Amino acid sequence: MAPYDMTATFGTSGSYFIYLAIGFAFGFILESSGFGDSRRLTAQFYFRELRVVKVMFTAIVVAMLLIFWSTALGLLDYNEIWVNPTYLWPGIAGGIIMGIGFILGGYCPGTSLVSVATLKIDGMFFLLGLVAGVVLFGETVGYINAFWNSGDMGLFTLPELLQLETGVVVFLVVCLALVMFIGFEWLHDFIYGKRR
Amino acid sequence: MKRLPDLRVPGAAALLLAAAGLAWHGQPAVEQQWEFLAPRYESRLIERQVYIDPAELLYLMNDDYIDLLIFDVRDESDWNQFHLADAERVPLDQLPSQRDRLRALPENAVLVVVSNDEMLATEAWKRLMVLAKPNVYILEGGLNLWLNIYGVPAEEVAGHGRTSLAQPNGRLRHRFKMALGARHAAARPDEHLTPQRDYTPKVQLFKKVARAGGCG
Repeated sequence: MAPYDMTATFGTSGSYFIYLAIGFAFGFILESSGFGDSRRLTAQFYFRELRVVKVMFTAIVVAMLLIFWSTALGLLDYNEIWVNPTYLWPGIAGGIIMGIGFILGGYCPGTSLVSVATLKIDGMFFLLGLVAGVVLFGETVGYINAFWNSGDMGLFTLPELLQLETGVVVFLVVCLALVMFIGFEWLHDFIYGKRR
Repeated sequence: MKRLPDLRVPGAAALLLAAAGLAWHGQPAVEQQWEFLAPRYESRLIERQVYIDPAELLYLMNDDYIDLLIFDVRDESDWNQFHLADAERVPLDQLPSQRDRLRALPENAVLVVVSNDEMLATEAWKRLMVLAKPNVYILEGGLNLWLNIYGVPAEEVAGHGRTSLAQPNGRLRHRFKMALGARHAAARPDEHLTPQRDYTPKVQLFKKVARAGGCG
């Protein structure tokens, strides 16, 4: 039953090779989806390009379906998967900061690494700024400790929030994703005209 | 370059179908989750690797290097009659609320589940393995055996001596004149004044703890 202990099964070097292969596949998919280009990424925010939301949300719902179907069939022990505990207020603040950084810089942390792989200069500067920000945050987080730990809700996910069965929540999220895809396409066509 | 076929509608239909199927199928209940986990963990129960002798629990209660938690999963009536010092009453239906706490336990933490005999505690052990897989053990023979060993002799309190442990039925077999809870002498017996018992230590820590501190 998954998740498997990769190091115990394949040894240290074997597990590192698997992580490398997964990282390679992830980078390949991101680059081939055009996620290494900051103009394409920021175009999402103006509804000119829809691939970011489509690729990301498709990945989310596919992963969600795989996780919960595997759990339902006894192939995966969901309780062994690490789910970040919810710290509401710093989570909201972090989301806003990340969103602003995404629009201004044109990348999120992962895509900036993809852009560096293709030697994009803007990606390199973004990555430098990212590292500087991480260091600055690490050195100053002690001063905002109370805020950093505020809104602690523990393991709090959508089924707990909505008081619904997990399967029903997954169905709703899939519906939401599909409605969003259709809505964004309609919005794109409305603003920029029908695509040929 | 040849244009790829437009798979948006079939793709969306496949996602919807898979999601609807999942909503209909639902997620497994705790009992079914244990069935999935049983091939990996049930041997610990069958080989009695997780049933610890009362003397080992007494040793743990007096070990300052161990972060010991005792979950008493019995009903409130039995809990009021007698319970171990520092035990917490956590009935089976409240175990899920302990998940976050159990996952955050330090590596020197040991959780011991107690009930009147071993039946309810074993059920709790299974649920705890499903929820959080802490370093959890079961008190062998339950509180009935504990009281047989550390309880007050019959001649001191009428009807409160050793009791038969045959055919466990989940009930507290010792009778109390009043509900003493943890005020009973057996709730935390003095390990130096109690009879020494030979037992096979079974508790293993996730990480060895340093048993000496300071310089040198």
